[in-house]
Amino acid sequence: MSDMPITPPVDRIDYRRRQKIGRIVQRLVILISAILLTAYVLAPVSWLVSSAFQTETEIVSIPPHWIPEHPTLRNFEAIFTAGNDEPVTYETRSGTDPAAGDFIPSTAENLLPSMANSLIVATLVVILNLLVGVPAAYAIAKIRFWGRNASVYFILITRVIPDIALVVPFFLVIRKLGMLDTLGSLVITYLAITVPFTVFILIQYFEGLPDELDKAARVDGCSRFQALIKVFLPLSMPSLVAVVLFTFLTSWNEFLLALMFTQTSASQTLPILLASFTSDFTVSFSFLNAAGVLAVVPPVIVAIVFERYIVSGLTAGAVKG
Amino acid sequence: MARIRFTNVNKKYANGFHAVRDLNLDIEDREFIVLLGPSGCGKSTTLNMIAGLEEVSDGELIFDEQVVNYVPPHKRDVAMVFQSYALYPHKTVYDNIGFGLKMRNASKEVIDERVRDAAQKLEISHLLDRRPSQLSGGQRQRVALGRAMVRDPSVFLMDEPLSNLDAALRISMRAEIKELHRTMETTFVYVTHDQAEALTLADRIVVMNDGVVQQIGTPDDIYERPSNTFVASFLGSPPINYFDGALEAGPDGEMAFIRDGLRLLLPADYAARLKEKMGRVVRLGIRAEDVVEGTAEPGINALSGTVTSVLPVGSDQYLGMDFGGEELFFRVGKDLRHAFGEKITLAVDLSRLHIFDRESGQSLIWNAA
Repeated sequence: MSDMPITPPVDRIDYRRRQKIGRIVQRLVILISAILLTAYVLAPVSWLVSSAFQTETEIVSIPPHWIPEHPTLRNFEAIFTAGNDEPVTYETRSGTDPAAGDFIPSTAENLLPSMANSLIVATLVVILNLLVGVPAAYAIAKIRFWGRNASVYFILITRVIPDIALVVPFFLVIRKLGMLDTLGSLVITYLAITVPFTVFILIQYFEGLPDELDKAARVDGCSRFQALIKVFLPLSMPSLVAVVLFTFLTSWNEFLLALMFTQTSASQTLPILLASFTSDFTVSFSFLNAAGVLAVVPPVIVAIVFERYIVSGLTAGAVKG
Repeated sequence: MARIRFTNVNKKYANGFHAVRDLNLDIEDREFIVLLGPSGCGKSTTLNMIAGLEEVSDGELIFDEQVVNYVPPHKRDVAMVFQSYALYPHKTVYDNIGFGLKMRNASKEVIDERVRDAAQKLEISHLLDRRPSQLSGGQRQRVALGRAMVRDPSVFLMDEPLSNLDAALRISMRAEIKELHRTMETTFVYVTHDQAEALTLADRIVVMNDGVVQQIGTPDDIYERPSNTFVASFLGSPPINYFDGALEAGPDGEMAFIRDGLRLLLPADYAARLKEKMGRVVRLGIRAEDVVEGTAEPGINALSGTVTSVLPVGSDQYLGMDFGGEELFFRVGKDLRHAFGEKITLAVDLSRLHIFDRESGQSLIWNAA
């Protein structure tokens, strides 16, 4: 009896080794998933950039060349010199082989003006969004007033209606105002779409900032407006950046309303113009892709400039955590 | 320096909640007033009304001779310290302290001088370049005090400023706040639910419950002569013990409180105040420390019962006693040794009894005076 073991037999499974293998497998799975996801997201953009530096012949070659064999800047040259040559017609086009890349879309000369239009509209929409959205969100988040909840619901309800349902009413209003084919029509309608979102995002953020900060600022000598400017805005950078990016990109990319309200180069924005490149007799992929690369540049610059403000922990230390 | 007067002040919210009812309070210049009460009693709302952060729904709030009901906070010369400190996280300690002065267009030299002076007094000079997130709770509290101090305000408001600190720091900060009041010579209004803070700091205490002032008085008044059972219960640790009994004539004709086998012979001044209540059932209150062990004869002027709990708290011990089915708690010396279930007798200090009306809870001793 005295030889009987008092503890159960030692388990022979090597848990340490098992845990180590498990950890390696876990990391491997995460790594592969990340690579696949990144490739999925970046592939179209990579092809856009790569093909912008390829000739038409190379673009249509099979298999495709992800890295251009004979990189060229001719596509970009064509963009910046478009309009200097004689207008593109069926006759001039038929004289050359489109596959050689000499074909220039008929609306090519409008590319740079439309880019400027897009930039003007997007910038105005961002600025007006902040001017309207910030005070509105602060008031709703920090001031108790009659109809406060109703205001929030009303703002949210405007976002429940799909944009397509608003096209006709918008069109009628814009036509009545005599604003068809102007940048103003786009600014007004884009504001109607983006301001509710801006206010909603900022309300959420402002509500997360302690009420005591507002009270402390006001006791320290700030009016409501000064409390907003001097205390709340510096602390709201991450949400303001989110709003700037969202409104800029929404305005930059918007297609449907711009298609309805714009007719000439005076007000056409980049998405409309890029789409028009595909409505010619022949599509020049090289030119289209180079234009696509240019279209991506401003949003990327905006994102890079503002990215550093998207930081967490900005409000740490305000109140006892 | 300011005198603050509340005249029939009410605060009602849009949802119908009546936070403060008919508040009449006169706060003297340079006085240290503590608003004391449980959560939701209206004490912070009262403080916010002084600051201008809450509107007065009805009545008048007067600073010196000026009605300030509609004066915005930045136009009232008040400074406030918040429970959560409310430091500006994006500013350094220096900028936090100097912010109020900057908003009042003080010159850079004045701001610098006052900020450094306050920092020195609060022993945070070495922290001026740091941000709030880099400070401990106690240091943040000092910065919050500094921010209020530099302005040299007419009224200094504090909303539970110590409740986030640990026990030891709280005691030392209490002393510092008292010293601050002495040196600043300004009116202090301090909100707390901590009776010890109220008793140690206040010139006068305002006890509130459900938006209604229960009693206004010096710490001694409030503790020794509570006007009702709420006030009596809110102060004291362990809380005051209550049980009901009848007022009847004793063997020599004196007035006695009678309950089961207990007979407490009341002092003559008590009897004089209670003579109209003879024969009525009243509620007796005995504070935990108003008993002495051992010497008394059971039944007469002494409580007898069995020990239900012994809770040593360092300097003293709390004794739980089963007295006729009710559990009473007393504070006795730590040297006395008792065991669970043991029979004990505690003599009652008759000069410190509290007697209340059973229905209204109002004191029959102190309110009759």
